[in-house]
Amino acid sequence: MNWKKILPLLAFVLGLAYVAIPWGPRNPGSGFNYESFGKLPVQVGGRIKPLDTVARNNLMLLSERQSVEVPREGGGTVEVPAIIWLAELAARPDVADTWPVFRFLHPDVRSTLGFTEDDGKVFSYKELEPRFEQIDRLFQQLPENQERWDSYDEALARLHERITRYHKLLHSFHPLGNTTRLLEEYRAYRSIIGPGLAELQKQQNGQPYNEQILQTFMGFADRYLKLSKQAMLRIIPPSGDQPIDGDWENVGDSLLRSIQTRTIDPVVREYAQLTESYHSEDEEEFNAVAGQIRSDFRAQYPGEKFRVAFEQRFNQAAPFYRSSVVYVLVLLLVLVSWLRWGETLRPTAAALLVAAFLVHTLGLFARMYIQDRPPVTNLYSSAVFTGWGAVLLGIIFERFFRNGFGAATAALVGFATLIVAHHLSLSGDTLELMRAVLDSNFWLATHVTIITIGYSAVFLAGGLALFYVIRGVFTNGLDKKMEKTLGNMVYGITCFALLFSFVGTMLGGVWADQSWGRFWGWDPKENGALLLVLWGAVMLHARWGGLVRTRGFMNMAIFGNVITSWSWFGTNMLGIGLHSYGFMDAAFFWLSAFVISQVGFMLIGGLPRHLWRSAPLLGVRKRAGKDAPPSGPGAATGEIGSAG
Amino acid sequence: MWQKFLRPLLLVFTSLRLTVILLVLSMALVFFGTLDQVNFGIHETQKRYFQSFLVFWNPLPPESTNPLARTGLPLPGGYLLGPLLLLNLLAAQFYRFRWSWQKSGILLIHSGLVLLIVSGFVTGFLGYERQMWIDEGGTKNWAESYMENEIVLIDKSEENRDRVYAFDSDHLKGGEIIDDPKLPVTLEIEEYYPNASVRQAGPNMRVEPAATNGAAPRMGLTATPAPETFAQDEFNADTAIVRVYDGDRDLGTWMVSNLLDDRFPPQTFMANGRVYEIALRFKREYYPFSITLRDFAHDRYPGTDIPKNFSSDVVVTDPQAGVERESLIYMNNPLRYGGHTFYQASFANQDTSSMLQVVKNPGWTLPYIAVTLVGLGLVVQFGLGFFRPRRRKTATATAAGNGPQPPSPDAQA
Repeated sequence: MNWKKILPLLAFVLGLAYVAIPWGPRNPGSGFNYESFGKLPVQVGGRIKPLDTVARNNLMLLSERQSVEVPREGGGTVEVPAIIWLAELAARPDVADTWPVFRFLHPDVRSTLGFTEDDGKVFSYKELEPRFEQIDRLFQQLPENQERWDSYDEALARLHERITRYHKLLHSFHPLGNTTRLLEEYRAYRSIIGPGLAELQKQQNGQPYNEQILQTFMGFADRYLKLSKQAMLRIIPPSGDQPIDGDWENVGDSLLRSIQTRTIDPVVREYAQLTESYHSEDEEEFNAVAGQIRSDFRAQYPGEKFRVAFEQRFNQAAPFYRSSVVYVLVLLLVLVSWLRWGETLRPTAAALLVAAFLVHTLGLFARMYIQDRPPVTNLYSSAVFTGWGAVLLGIIFERFFRNGFGAATAALVGFATLIVAHHLSLSGDTLELMRAVLDSNFWLATHVTIITIGYSAVFLAGGLALFYVIRGVFTNGLDKKMEKTLGNMVYGITCFALLFSFVGTMLGGVWADQSWGRFWGWDPKENGALLLVLWGAVMLHARWGGLVRTRGFMNMAIFGNVITSWSWFGTNMLGIGLHSYGFMDAAFFWLSAFVISQVGFMLIGGLPRHLWRSAPLLGVRKRAGKDAPPSGPGAATGEIGSAG
Repeated sequence: MWQKFLRPLLLVFTSLRLTVILLVLSMALVFFGTLDQVNFGIHETQKRYFQSFLVFWNPLPPESTNPLARTGLPLPGGYLLGPLLLLNLLAAQFYRFRWSWQKSGILLIHSGLVLLIVSGFVTGFLGYERQMWIDEGGTKNWAESYMENEIVLIDKSEENRDRVYAFDSDHLKGGEIIDDPKLPVTLEIEEYYPNASVRQAGPNMRVEPAATNGAAPRMGLTATPAPETFAQDEFNADTAIVRVYDGDRDLGTWMVSNLLDDRFPPQTFMANGRVYEIALRFKREYYPFSITLRDFAHDRYPGTDIPKNFSSDVVVTDPQAGVERESLIYMNNPLRYGGHTFYQASFANQDTSSMLQVVKNPGWTLPYIAVTLVGLGLVVQFGLGFFRPRRRKTATATAAGNGPQPPSPDAQA
């Protein structure tokens, strides 16, 4: 058997299967078809999205997870997906209210509310309910100026916001308090609209009127008016020929409009049916009604047939999660391949890398299709794209050099950026709409994309340099030839990175000039990009001028990681942004940790060469008298000339 | 002489080492010039860091009374680094550079960079930004600064036009006397506050108003100096107490302030038989054309407050050129007219007032040329490096130093 050929092929196929299979349809079999329910379209945050996305995003905002750990009777927990949680919330709020979904970790907030360490970190609506008044009172006490908020204030405000969010979600499908007899309620309402209006007319004309009918009618109207103010989701598509991105209605608004139309909108009725059938565990009816809403929607907007349902599929497939898992595997394989079985494992890792990259690409294009936008539209997508670019470049390098460095670095950067993206997604919808000032597909596609590729390249160079230091210092596997090769790789990518950073930054200037009449304004983001360009120039000039050799150049490449992370995230944390977004505080911590780790690697890379485990392979003699090499970056000894 | 001093000096200016040092210093300047925007806002930081020769960075906030707040990390400013980089680049280019096709990329890059730095200075010295607030249905032929102030005397006695005497006021100090033959009167600046808190004294408070004439005694206003603010959404209330002399005759004092804007009745005095209005206001720029705002629109995404678009429907009227042109100004789509760019910047009053940012930048084409040159140069240079056949290098770049010789990154492939 020729394992060298078979294993890579096998890895590729298995990797592709692992990441691709969840894209396929699931056989609903019997039971509630949650997948179909999750594909129901709603408008929220100005965007049309499937309920599945709504469920995931909201659960993420409440509990920082995409599933709920529901306590089982008799101990233990069972993991419930977001969409089932949403179905329960819609149809059986009394059940959903007992599920722990409010996660808050701040010790002061917890102790203020009387929770102890033993109470856990996630709480249910029911548990919080007795404390609502207290939470509200504490919230009112917060300083008005959000810039002055400390972490307690922020945590409390976040909790308050989460409770409000839960409430609004709860009121999104139908009025509360009568979930088993909604259709009956709507029938009663419809039949009283005519008489109610007549009595109202009489009352206004000063004629005698039937007080009971008027009271009943006004009671309904009042109930639905409140509902219209509470509901978060807009579940009823615009009627007639209106475009899909027109104004959708929430359930309260629609019920109020029924006063004019004298009918209940079919979608409102269908959601009531969904609720009732879910309650009575009538799976067949539930599935049929969900299918009905979807086919009506498809009939109304044939051009948008696929998008909403596709988004559900995309959520379910979780391509970025799965590719990040494979990236870890690739990294491990390469690391092992450097120690043993290199000839088999390295190509296997490379093949697996390509499989993961294909799915990464698929996810990227899926987002572009759903959003109808170029790949980078916000911080989240910039993380996904930076990783993608780095993996692509890494694969190309692996193809040329076949030494594992390209694959390892690609996997490392791909994995790290997807982790970053995951944490950014905690702040809500990652497919959010573009604010007016950024709404320009042309500039998003050129300036933003190019500059993000610049980030990819710098991270790739920095990652290669990291592996150079690790292999050189901690293993005895770095020889002269490999050092030279790596030097050339990093040099080439640095040139590429400088080109893209410069062109991207300058395109930003052109955008600014086109939009605002000024090319350059020294704002933090512009300055961040400029730093990256300047650093690229410093690296190349230092090398051309002979100020650094391979090792110094590698250490400079590692510092490139620091600069890129600053211009990517650091600039967003300046000023108000640092205070008003909880996740940014955590981000600040991680950014600092990253910077420290990189500086640490630079120090390790600066260790005198004779201390490196690879010293013999690099032709460095052990310390002996006058040959003692000077330490510090760039002070390489022997004949390790500037590569060329 | 040449051998001893000038040649080594020239060598210093042509060295790559100097390039690297200057670039690293530029990075430090840019980095700290970003950090300080938290304290000083973007405009003040720009002045301190990029339009200066020397700057001290200090992590303490500007209002800090700590004695250490007066010192800090010294950094060369933009006015020092820019010319030095230019000098270094030109010196290296002329002294060392020998033309060859291999180096055509470098030549392109460096000439583009020279142009880029020059364009930065052109914009810095000749460009300016102004704001133009227009209400729906309103017309304006001027825009104002949001930082610089001026004191104006306006003679409205002529039928069709106002005669405006204006002078910049930001640099004024208390006690200065403005005695310019072009001005109809002599002014003594008794006090000048770069920022002030102007208050109305309550009916029972016995506080002397800030001046003897005009709004101050009428409304019982007092002015006390306040620390300057650099916050993005605040402005400095420049306030002055001005004594007016008509020849030798003392007419009394007036309190002028950019807080007392068009909403207040004008303050006036009589001199040489004419009535003059006196005011301190944001510096204005008048144009030979006017802009009328027909409609301002602010679209949001359905069901949200996320802005989807802002737009101002305007008409430009230029009687001299015989122009009356309609234009829709919206995000990423400014109006360019008469050497100025008008872009949609802000709005107020329940979406009935629109603010256009007016930018004049005579050097606006330079960056385009510069960027094209550098971009092309980078592509050529790295392209040549990438596709050059593998070749043994005879000497390191150190010794020759005559420009980079990038090795081919695919040498091992």
